[in-house]
Amino acid sequence: MFGQIKMIFTVLLIAGIAGAGMYVMKLRSDNAILKANQSKLESAITEQNKVLEQQKEDFTAILESNKKLNVLINTFKKDLEDLDKRFTKKNRDIGKLAIDRTEAIERIINKGGKNAARCIELASGAEHTEAELKATLKSEINPECPSLANPNYVPYQ
Amino acid sequence: MYHINKIIALAIIILLTGCSIGEKKIKIFSIEKPREKLDYPMPTALELEELKWIIITSENAKEVFKKLEEAGIDPVLFGITDKDYQVLARNFAQIRQKLQETNNLLEEYKKYYEGPEENKQ
Repeated sequence: MFGQIKMIFTVLLIAGIAGAGMYVMKLRSDNAILKANQSKLESAITEQNKVLEQQKEDFTAILESNKKLNVLINTFKKDLEDLDKRFTKKNRDIGKLAIDRTEAIERIINKGGKNAARCIELASGAEHTEAELKATLKSEINPECPSLANPNYVPYQ
Repeated sequence: MYHINKIIALAIIILLTGCSIGEKKIKIFSIEKPREKLDYPMPTALELEELKWIIITSENAKEVFKKLEEAGIDPVLFGITDKDYQVLARNFAQIRQKLQETNNLLEEYKKYYEGPEENKQ
């Protein structure tokens, strides 16, 4: 009788230990899954933060680039207006002037043509000369495209 | 009998937990391979040849042609009026501006998609 009770207890004890062991194993496995999930979530958050930061940087770069191009387009308009003014300032008639002062106008036109050609070279990516970079006076600049040819020239007000 | 039970129970425990000891986990990772850079050099800058404008009026026409003949140049001129000269100047200014705008756009695209010069490998 006593032997049977002892055996039942032993079986129960062993079953208990086995159950506890299995439960611990299950907990360990759950823990591993949770850890993996957490690390995935953390890496996802880090990645999303990176993406957001990159987007922010991209927007700033786009805005800056747009601003730069707008400034450039406004400069173009001003350059064209200045060119028109040079031909028509104070009711100037370049044809009549050329009849009256042929040689002087020929000199001016040849100089203007040379300057305009230089502007095209610069617009196509040519390097500035030292003189062009140093020019700060109106007499030193290329009047056909001062903003392009002479970046250090500030027009008089 | 008592010992046999113990051994059987121990064997069952080992059998049930044995697979989980020393279990190897599969690691999953991804490596991002960036797209190759196009990296074209910027177009070569233009080098324009110089040309000479000659103004010809009814008064100096004979003198101009005489000078051309003396210099061994064919006495012929391709002319435009003063108004057309203004149009030509304006057209050239617009061509130059378009060239500058296109070059600028190209530089901005390059900078945006490939990063500034100092970041290049």
